[in-house]
Amino acid sequence: MKFTIVVYAAPYSSQAAATAFNFSKTLLSEGHEIYRLFFFSDGAHNTNKLATVPQGETNLQASWDDLIRDYDLDSAVCVSSAIKRGIVDKQEAERHELSAVSLFESSDIAGLGQLIDAAINSDRLLNFG
Amino acid sequence: MSTLHTISKSPKSQLLSECLPLVNKGDGILFIEDGVYYCANSKVSDDFESDVTWYGLKEDLDARGLKLDDIKTIKIINYQIFVEMCEEFDKVISWF
Amino acid sequence: MNATQKQTFTFISRTAPYGSNRPQLCLDTALAAAVFEQQVNYLFMEDGVYQLLKNQDAEAIHTKTIGRILETLNLYGIESIYVCKESLESRGLLLGDLVIESKLTNANELKTLLNSSDTVINL
Repeated sequence: MKFTIVVYAAPYSSQAAATAFNFSKTLLSEGHEIYRLFFFSDGAHNTNKLATVPQGETNLQASWDDLIRDYDLDSAVCVSSAIKRGIVDKQEAERHELSAVSLFESSDIAGLGQLIDAAINSDRLLNFG
Repeated sequence: MSTLHTISKSPKSQLLSECLPLVNKGDGILFIEDGVYYCANSKVSDDFESDVTWYGLKEDLDARGLKLDDIKTIKIINYQIFVEMCEEFDKVISWF
Repeated sequence: MNATQKQTFTFISRTAPYGSNRPQLCLDTALAAAVFEQQVNYLFMEDGVYQLLKNQDAEAIHTKTIGRILETLNLYGIESIYVCKESLESRGLLLGDLVIESKLTNANELKTLLNSSDTVINL
């Protein structure tokens, strides 16, 4: 079965992003597919590659990046959510003359059309916020 | 068409009372995250309607030290069953 | 995207304007669904009905005035707009207090609406 997972919540400040991660990991290990991960609103923070955590704590952003690369997932972050939170790829960083690239290479900046497309082409869409 | 509703905030959120008017017969309600405190309060869970199936997520119950062995109205499921239930129901509506 | 695929999306907007970005997220997603020519139902319930109050002006709090955007929903292809009857009544509001003409809908009708939807976004 094809799932789309929409994440509205930032990591660490609430449990929702971790729940979305656990659910995604479980469904993949059960042999299901993810059509698309879509990071929306504060969920954009999950795609920030510049985060580090104290020793002994889980780096959720890095965990997402590992999962996305391990399973070659389609991962999209909403453009308007991302850029106002400082989540930029190389192209956006150059366009806005910013000094760093913060988006993991494993995710792409996308419009809300990608969320609608995902809803249409998935068997199930789950929201985590 | 049956729906699985997930509720992820504690009872003070009133999410269950927002959700219930929209629940159809045969739907399921799954408590996750702080939503599992709905299961822990027998004053609340004793009134759970029987034409809806009630579930609590094991990992979130365990994390909070909630033991529900004596509450028969709620089925305790883990993440694997959560995934399977998303197949069984036609869609999922998240309440957060 | 395959243009022949048409699904029914129902958006439930349950939160008051300005206190959080949830009404805006819900609206933006619904507008995207309408652009992709999907069937869009838009439902205001609980504190979400406050988004429809007349005389909003959010300029002084540096936000777009949601009430004014909602006045023009039908121009964007969102014509199936529902307001939960119980939510409106329990807040002492009347249809005449709202910026748009909408259908007052009771819980049973809302159940049917959700049951016939392919995707529900609930914010």
